Amino acid sequence: MTKRLLLAAGLALTSPVAAQSHPSYWAYVANESSDIVSLVRFDGTEVVEEKAITVGPHPADIDGAHGIAVSPTGTHWYVSIAHGQPYGQVWQMETGTDRFVDSAYVGLFPATMSMTPDGSSLFVVNFNLHGDHLPSSVSAVFTPMMSEITQIETCVMPHGSRVSRDGTRHYSTCMMSDQLVESSVQGMDVQRRMMLTGGKEHVMAADHDMGGMAMGGEICKPTWVLLSPDDTRIYVPCNGRGDVLEIDAESMEVLRRFPTGAGPYNLDITPDGQKLVVTLKGAQSVAIFDLETGEETRIATSQPVTHGVAITPDGRFAFVSNESVGATRGTVDIIDIAAGAVVASTPLHFQPGGLAMWKMEGGE
Amino acid sequence: MVTEVRFGSDELTVARGETVTLATGMYDVNGNAVQGAVAIIMAQAGVSPRFAPIEGASVDLTGQQPGAGMLTAIVMVPLDQGSVRGTAGARQVGQIPVTVLDYPAASIDIAEPDYMLYTGTSLQMAGTIMTTQGDAHATAQIIWTSSDPSVAMVTGSGILTSMSAGNATLTAATEGGVSVDYPVMVATNPVTSISMSPSSTSTRRGDVVEFDIVATDANGNAVTDIALDLAVSGLEGTGGFVYSDGTFVAEETGAYRVIASTGSASAAAVVEVTPRPEPQTVELLDHGARSEVSTSDLWVFEGADGEDYAYTGTHAQGGGQRMFVWNVTDPTNIALLDSVVVDARVVNDVKVSDDASWAIITREGASTRRNGIVVLDLADPAHPTIMAELTDSLTGGIHNVWIMGETVYAVNNGTSAMHIIDMSDPANPKHAGRFEIKEGDTNKSLHDVWAEDGYAYLSYWNDGLVIVDVGAGTHGGSAHNPVFVSAIKYPEGNTHVAWRTRDYVFLGDEIGTSDGMRGFIHVVDVSDIDNPRQVAKYDLPEAGAHNVWIEDDVLYIAYYQGGLRIVDVSGTLRGDLYRQGRELGFYRTEAAEGEGLAANSANAWGPQPFTGNLFVSDMTSGLWVVKHARPRPIT
Repeated sequence: MTKRLLLAAGLALTSPVAAQSHPSYWAYVANESSDIVSLVRFDGTEVVEEKAITVGPHPADIDGAHGIAVSPTGTHWYVSIAHGQPYGQVWQMETGTDRFVDSAYVGLFPATMSMTPDGSSLFVVNFNLHGDHLPSSVSAVFTPMMSEITQIETCVMPHGSRVSRDGTRHYSTCMMSDQLVESSVQGMDVQRRMMLTGGKEHVMAADHDMGGMAMGGEICKPTWVLLSPDDTRIYVPCNGRGDVLEIDAESMEVLRRFPTGAGPYNLDITPDGQKLVVTLKGAQSVAIFDLETGEETRIATSQPVTHGVAITPDGRFAFVSNESVGATRGTVDIIDIAAGAVVASTPLHFQPGGLAMWKMEGGE
Repeated sequence: MVTEVRFGSDELTVARGETVTLATGMYDVNGNAVQGAVAIIMAQAGVSPRFAPIEGASVDLTGQQPGAGMLTAIVMVPLDQGSVRGTAGARQVGQIPVTVLDYPAASIDIAEPDYMLYTGTSLQMAGTIMTTQGDAHATAQIIWTSSDPSVAMVTGSGILTSMSAGNATLTAATEGGVSVDYPVMVATNPVTSISMSPSSTSTRRGDVVEFDIVATDANGNAVTDIALDLAVSGLEGTGGFVYSDGTFVAEETGAYRVIASTGSASAAAVVEVTPRPEPQTVELLDHGARSEVSTSDLWVFEGADGEDYAYTGTHAQGGGQRMFVWNVTDPTNIALLDSVVVDARVVNDVKVSDDASWAIITREGASTRRNGIVVLDLADPAHPTIMAELTDSLTGGIHNVWIMGETVYAVNNGTSAMHIIDMSDPANPKHAGRFEIKEGDTNKSLHDVWAEDGYAYLSYWNDGLVIVDVGAGTHGGSAHNPVFVSAIKYPEGNTHVAWRTRDYVFLGDEIGTSDGMRGFIHVVDVSDIDNPRQVAKYDLPEAGAHNVWIEDDVLYIAYYQGGLRIVDVSGTLRGDLYRQGRELGFYRTEAAEGEGLAANSANAWGPQPFTGNLFVSDMTSGLWVVKHARPRPIT
């Protein structure tokens, strides 16, 4: 009798979820100070770490798993191993089994990555975060062979990496040169640059000085770059200034500025191009901008040092990583974009940062 | 759509400095030429450019570094010709092997033999093939011949045996036809007798016996310019070695005959090799377990209040944001007193100043990404407080520091340089300089620094050990202006730590493998500081070396899985110290169930002898205090 009652109660609890037939969303998160990549799953109600995958070549030191990318076909994921002796690496892993497949040496402190739509080329910025302030590069890696094809020299402290949807252009920014850089995927060379310093924004030739900042303006200190789904707009967070720039991709003119407050860091955009989600590293929060009205919704995150963001393929949720501080474990929060609220959260490891969606499965 | 890139040949051979035009063609699946496509050459060989877009029917390639590799063509598929998922992409569609030859050989420099050529003696001839550019040829080999083998017989590789008195001409030649003649004169071997006297006829495993070998002629005059043949045969044992400088060492017990000979003269001496003392017990005094966080470096010292303290850092597992303070005055009852918390995820290194008034802890993984060093005030060593920090130019994290008086040498992860910090006012640390090899070249990795008696020893990973003068008075360096002295590297690379005692520097590798940590201790003779040379090693096969400490001719090694290893490094060192049985004792720093991050699993990080006891930090189990039954070797 008791057993039957409990069963009935269980059915009662689970039946609403079953009726909704909610999809599951899977994402990979790099925990930089644990050398662990977390595979997390959100089922519409709860987010859990399904697997913790140890990465990095050195068992005794921190190797610094930083950026994450998933191939367009979903068969592989890539993690940049930032620390090296001396150069960093990109590891190629198989999704599902999460086994190591291959690796490629790249530059100093490889960070953000993105891939061409066919998955054959991966572009990783060589952030060289802690080295001398010298021009660094973007490494192009041919993934079938996991070989670095070339290093496209860009500017000082490149961060953010995005390939256009049509696969022809690559964009990166340079924190310490205050530049947005457009490169040709086919030619693997810089085509245009844009100075991002406040009041000094202008397009520059490809061979313009890679080192210096513009003088006299308010420094942008860009940390990310994002394209609209139709490739017509470029979004750049100015981490040092506290706003996000909307830039016309063809003319490279600033169209709009979205004030954000302290430390905008990473961005993602809904597939319909309507909502821009901005992590605010310095404000322990996320800002969601309605790109039609410009209206902002601010959401507090579960831990400080909010870092990465990736939006689910259906545009409903944003996965957000929070590094936290010291020995406090970081978290991944799930934000319901329409509701403007955190709906789930789970602790991960130390300093979760890079984040990439793997797949959405199930649901109606 | 391009499905194939054809090259003008099935393989490419190019000389260094030479530019060749390689024909290329792009074809579709039906074999028809495709116009307008863009291919990319990706060279995994020593040619430039490593990467080149090709739009026409050829590409120019220049040989740069001798060697072999592959040349791969990737086609970037234009949108109008379709590609995967209708977007631009890249595919590998052609590949040929490439060989880069060095510049042509132009000359051969013959090295003068160290000895006279006397009948019945042998020696190795040596030479260097020089290219047309004046540098050593990378691949060409010398082939030796003799004009008169009845006088001077030489093997193709240059082992010369003097057969009879007379003159002959050796020829050193390359396959390419460059050659040089080298006239030799073989004299009658004047040696009629050899005497050899060992420094001892009885020795222990691993103890070096030095032979005084004197060859004399018929008049009783010493012949010093002759290459004697030295050999050792085991009468009752194996594992004896005799070196060209007349030193003998054996790994195993037994009786060994050491033979010196030339021509018809010979001498022999027997050396009996006895066991070394059995390793002695290492007794546990106390264990300060840490089960919530991994432990890193340690420093044990007497504080200003007369009490003894150990400071231990913390590593990533569990969150390395603390330095723990232990009172170890009673080594059988150590007590955790306090901790200092900083914004970090690894506090890798802890060092205390000579007068114990201040300390430095290093930071990695700070949430602000401004790491650097933190200076602690030790006025109350039981409860140290943060006095200052220095992060400018040190944001990449400091892995290791060494304190030499009022100077701190810091290993900067970001620049792979040794940054020099003036600590004359500990509350206001100031940058005082910087030293790095390959200035401006990013291809280097500095891991550790240790300094004493005016020299700093930099463990420069795959560049090996780098010695700099920081006030020794030999090469013009000073504490704030280091001057390069010498360097030595070895094939294993991963040079991680260095420590000098007497004329030996002990270098530890740190090599991560799928079977866990590996790497061993290299022993380098620096009696000639300008020409360091490796003479011995200590290689525990099943584990990996980490930090070391040497005191009173005893080497203490935290050997990761091998726990604490205690090794006698007294006397002259040659050969494999592990196989010679020089180990004095060991202690496996394995925590019991529930007493560490992992039970029954040693992961020793750093050792330090202090007031007759041994302190060891272990990553998975915390701080250990042990006592060795016989801490000093019998020398």
